[in-house]
Amino acid sequence: MCQYALQVYHILPDRRFATVEHRAKSLAGSSYVAVPEDNSVLQLLLTELGLSDSDKDYVALRDDCLHRQRSPALELCVDGPGKGILWPVLAISHGPLTLACLPIVDAPAEPRPPLASLLSVSQGLTLLAGLQTFLLGSGGKPDNEGLSVRLAMLPSLLLQVCPLGTPLDVPISGAPAPSAVPTPVGSQKQPFWKTGLHRGRAVVNVALKETVRSMQYGNRSRQDLWDVYGTVTCKCEVEGVLPNVTVTLTLPPNGSPLQDILVHPCVTSLDSCILSASSVDNCDSSAFSGPYKFPFSPPLEPFRLCSYTSQVPVPPILGSYQLREEENQLSVSISLKLHESVKNSFEYCEAHMPFFNRDQMGVVEVKVSSGQMDVSKEKNLLVWALGQKFPKSREVSMEGKISFSGPMAGPTDPICTGLTAYIKLYFKVPDMTLSGCCVDQHSVQVYSSAKPRIMTCRELQSKEYFIWNSSGTAPMSSGQMML
Amino acid sequence: MAANWAERISAFSRSQSRFLCGTTAEDFLGELLHELRDDRASFAVKVLLLSPLCDHPSLLCPSDVVGEETALELMSVLDQCPPKSVQFRCQLLVALTTVLVCTSCVGIRSRASRDFLDLLLQMVQDTGDLRGDDGLRSTRATACDCLRELEACSPGLLAQRLELLGGLRQRETSRLHQAYAGLHTLVLRNAVYRLAQDTGASGEHLKALLEGNTWVAELDSGRMNDGDCSDALSSLTLGPMGTVPTLQTGPDCKELRSVLSSLLEESYLLTPLCQAALLHRLTEVVSMVPGVPPAVFRAQLLRLLGTSEVCLLHATLLLKCAFTDSLFSAEDEAFVLQRLVVLSQHPLLSAAEKLFYIDCLLHFPENRPIGCGADGDEALPVLLTPRLASALAPTVFDDGATGLARLNLLSLVYQEEVEGGEGEESRGLAYLYQHLSSLLRIVANGGGRELVVTSFRAAFLFLFYFCHVGRYCRSLTEELCQLYLRHGHLAPHVINLADRVQEKLPESNWAVGFLRALQGVITNAPPTCLTSRYLGFHLKTLARVAEEGEITQHRTIHFLSAVIAAPTLSLCTSGAWRLGNGLLAVCRRLLVHPTLDSLFIPLADVLLHLTRCYGDTDIQDHARLYYTLLTTLSREKLAGVLAAEGGRRVKKRSLSCIVGESEGLTSALTIHRTEKLIIGLTEVRSKPDDGTRDDGVGEMKQTFPAEAHAALEEYRAQFDDPGFASQVAITYRLTHIDDDPRFDQLFSICLHFSLTDDHYEELADVSVPRLLRRGAAPEVTLRLKPRQPQPTTLDASAIFTAEDGLTWFTVLPQVHVAFRQAFAPLPAPRAWGRGGGPVLFEGLWGEISGEDQADCATSLFCSQLKEGALSALVDEHLLPFLISERSKEDEFRVLFFLPPRAHVLLRIRPGEPAQFHIATDDWRLLGHLNSYLLTITSSQGDAPL
Repeated sequence: MCQYALQVYHILPDRRFATVEHRAKSLAGSSYVAVPEDNSVLQLLLTELGLSDSDKDYVALRDDCLHRQRSPALELCVDGPGKGILWPVLAISHGPLTLACLPIVDAPAEPRPPLASLLSVSQGLTLLAGLQTFLLGSGGKPDNEGLSVRLAMLPSLLLQVCPLGTPLDVPISGAPAPSAVPTPVGSQKQPFWKTGLHRGRAVVNVALKETVRSMQYGNRSRQDLWDVYGTVTCKCEVEGVLPNVTVTLTLPPNGSPLQDILVHPCVTSLDSCILSASSVDNCDSSAFSGPYKFPFSPPLEPFRLCSYTSQVPVPPILGSYQLREEENQLSVSISLKLHESVKNSFEYCEAHMPFFNRDQMGVVEVKVSSGQMDVSKEKNLLVWALGQKFPKSREVSMEGKISFSGPMAGPTDPICTGLTAYIKLYFKVPDMTLSGCCVDQHSVQVYSSAKPRIMTCRELQSKEYFIWNSSGTAPMSSGQMML
Repeated sequence: MAANWAERISAFSRSQSRFLCGTTAEDFLGELLHELRDDRASFAVKVLLLSPLCDHPSLLCPSDVVGEETALELMSVLDQCPPKSVQFRCQLLVALTTVLVCTSCVGIRSRASRDFLDLLLQMVQDTGDLRGDDGLRSTRATACDCLRELEACSPGLLAQRLELLGGLRQRETSRLHQAYAGLHTLVLRNAVYRLAQDTGASGEHLKALLEGNTWVAELDSGRMNDGDCSDALSSLTLGPMGTVPTLQTGPDCKELRSVLSSLLEESYLLTPLCQAALLHRLTEVVSMVPGVPPAVFRAQLLRLLGTSEVCLLHATLLLKCAFTDSLFSAEDEAFVLQRLVVLSQHPLLSAAEKLFYIDCLLHFPENRPIGCGADGDEALPVLLTPRLASALAPTVFDDGATGLARLNLLSLVYQEEVEGGEGEESRGLAYLYQHLSSLLRIVANGGGRELVVTSFRAAFLFLFYFCHVGRYCRSLTEELCQLYLRHGHLAPHVINLADRVQEKLPESNWAVGFLRALQGVITNAPPTCLTSRYLGFHLKTLARVAEEGEITQHRTIHFLSAVIAAPTLSLCTSGAWRLGNGLLAVCRRLLVHPTLDSLFIPLADVLLHLTRCYGDTDIQDHARLYYTLLTTLSREKLAGVLAAEGGRRVKKRSLSCIVGESEGLTSALTIHRTEKLIIGLTEVRSKPDDGTRDDGVGEMKQTFPAEAHAALEEYRAQFDDPGFASQVAITYRLTHIDDDPRFDQLFSICLHFSLTDDHYEELADVSVPRLLRRGAAPEVTLRLKPRQPQPTTLDASAIFTAEDGLTWFTVLPQVHVAFRQAFAPLPAPRAWGRGGGPVLFEGLWGEISGEDQADCATSLFCSQLKEGALSALVDEHLLPFLISERSKEDEFRVLFFLPPRAHVLLRIRPGEPAQFHIATDDWRLLGHLNSYLLTITSSQGDAPL
């Protein structure tokens, strides 16, 4: 049960759930703190989130070093410090949108119960995340027009998903499949999360996407880091109230086990060995390494069936970056090597070299062994487009000198000062995974009368793929290796 | 009109108080209801109209009566509403529920609430339309949700319907069964809770409830009062710390088991949010019924442990908390913990979720918790080894909250390691320090505001856990000083850090050392490289440093001298007011510094220099004040004047506080207001003397005109002197009327009175030197100067100094001046002695009753007083004004003189009835006189008029 004084700030006034406040009042007794009017809550919240007075270096209410801003729940002081405190206020922000709610504390208020004992908190987080996804669209990029249309739908939507303050569901983003029809009454119970029934040929679409992150230092004293995580997204159009579908992930022989597997709630059962491998534990090589079977009954809309992480022995692209100060210019030397296990066929591959805390670039004299080098319009970034393929040697390099004699100062960054600098790689490789994990078309089982059409695809993409200048200092990106 | 409503509703929801300035809640409610009944309004508008009722029902319906009426109105609107406007119908149901719950109509089981409940029950049973129109179904679902909310707010409300609801849930096959499942689960939980609370209840009662046997209605008579249902509302505190009421049943408990397993089996069909709620409710049920083993949940566990949904995993953790090793093996526990570590840093989860999981790690429900730390305390699970935790090591790439949460967790981990003997050599500690110092380096390189705040919070956390590790603390001091020197604008953060460390770690002297080091770096910097912006920050910091008695202030004072003399800054000629205040703020703290003696001359020089040369008059004046204080007051007095009361963190906001320089001083210089009445005046009823007032002349020489006319003339001549006999003196006693110990001893009390009408002249203030709670109450004599001798009321207030040295203002209870208190004895010429009275009396009497003079009047007052009572009355009330001999009992002659010039003459003759013949030269007094005589004759004395 949650008290959701839901605030969609900047744009919408809030929704208060008076019955929940009524319960909160009798639960908290004399320590009850009433939720003030919208504008004062808004003011407090914006201050707390640093969205107002952001030009002021120090605001006592916000910046006190004792303030526990390490919890997902905020405190809002209603009548000045130490008096009435609204807690636990959950808030999430993305772009122009800040969503906040105040879950009910259904436990004795004194001493303050741990967050972990209040189910309403995780329910609140779920609701907020669901609303955020709905309002911003799953693409993540907020478009203002779509946002205002969806905001207008919010009141009637809330009547459905949270009519009296207890969240029942999160809004479904994206319209349900057009072929869905209302359910006829049968003996089998229909899941709430299935808004209708599919009629027509069964189509199952399984997309496997792996993301690789890396931090490479080119330094003996600093171990390079990389990790891979994958997600399996499904879109299933299958007849029946509760049709059974099974997707199986397989690894090549000697593939390292999939770890940290998380599954969608529509997965009906799990084998315990599927969950056994974990990235934070020493995994022994004898561990279960598939096949990973996920039996489920799909909802109508696309959903993320499962996710995993994997420890691969080598990074897909090993780079080295050397940047040296020479008189009034920087000398640059970069080499990138594509690992032989990686398919040499990119959708795109680019290396970005930003420069901070310097003037704009003046003369750029660089030679690349392959691809094309561009200077960004702002003259603070070199973009090395490598195209769709590495050369046969699977190695590319760049050498050159750059002077910073531009008329204007470039961007600043508190981390990349002096020779602390990085290259960031952006690439996408279709039809491959680093872990070797794949969904075989034939392994997808659909228990239905008609023969289903099954499509699978996979891809690898980079995210936060950094190669640091080996002749400068680089910040630590993980303590795990150090400890 | 529609647009207008949208605007009005949004204005209402933005600020109700502002909206209701323009109208009343009653009117607004009336308008809403009127519009809701209006057929012309569209349903879209009507949905909108319901939102004020849903959001602020208690504001619009301030009493249960209004709530009841509103609910009846809404129900009739619902009745009229066509079935196809589903959204409006649903919103109406929600509004009805909200109004009935929040106005306590449900609590008192009002008629409307019973009708509504019946209506809802009817709706949820109305499954007749099997064709499954989606609209109808959603009204039905909303009806279920409303019932669930009613049950949630009044636990036990639907206990008797348990069997009915269970049946409905089982039969429902559409998506709507989720709503039925939620309702059924909650009613079940509340019913079991009530039975468990009832010592007489047994498994049989539960069975009967589940089977819908009617005799349980008897149980229902002990219906829980809505007022004290907060225990039932509260989620059970499960786990080792919680106490859970239990219901003893037989070992089989078949009926309950079958309900539970059916609910659990179908839980898969619910949304994660509803599954989590259902699991939590069922966890509570099973923990209250020992007859059902926790193993009923086992089949769900793997599915739950693998979930990506935060609320489902959370419900699983609560399940673990409730059943510990009866459901989770040691292996499971290790797995769950590992899972939490993974989730706390999972790349696919949101920052808020990850923070939540870190919080769950610190409150991990262990199977066998070692020691039970106080509730809410963070504690490391035993299984969380440094190795495992290293996955959560903070890095500079973390966002602020995540970085701090990780630092906190790892600090807890390495605190054990450091205390376990590794001390300064701990690698973990080294890593954490390195992390902190990278953060500070980023700040030094121009990190933004958020990074600055995060870094100082990280510094505080580090000190909080490791302030005893000397090496790191010293090097932190050094790094912070260097950072500060480069970025003076961090002064508020630096000061805040020192304050908090001092406050939270009183045993550590890191803060003092840090402040000393700051003093060092500031004062060593040559003043030539100071900009005036940084100087302001430095002065702020030095002012804080000067609050530490342990830190010698010579460097500070030399710095001040150098700064004011520095030609580059040309401080004095610029006359910057803010900087001047900054300088004074430091000086002020030096004035109360324990080593003031050794600073005396340089400080005096600085102040004198400011007094003479600073280019701002205000600063000059303040400097002069300080200089005077320094050179004339003793140390103790100086401290008394300047020391802020209650520690420096207590700040009273007042206009004069906006300047740092006068903070603290203002509380000594401003007048505080007491919250309550603390002193009051009580009248002293002087003992009636026998009229032998010694008028100084004595009995020896009594010369007075024997002839009445002459006597009158001589008497009247006295009034040519304007001040003659124009006052009435009333004596009061000043006493405490409150027992606040702060005000035990009051000094220099200045009482101020103000008039509430114009019958009297303005009163002068009265001074009372002291009022001690245990001392004699001082007397206060009010000298009233009537314009009209009428009763009146005075407002009274006082300003005084309390023991704490502060000046207070307080209001006293009003002082009532009765008519009788305006009486004065006859001001006959002193030389006449006592003999003159009767002559004058006769003269006046004759004059008043004789001619038809303007204001004169005679009257008669009769009373049934017996002779003895009459003479007692004279003794008690009239003696000071008696003109005739006391012994002459056949007629008492009494004369009241009422300043400034009025007279009331009484001839009182005993008899049946006793007669009071009245003559007065001011007829306006007759009314007051009448009530006065009535009072004294009827009550014989003590009732004041």
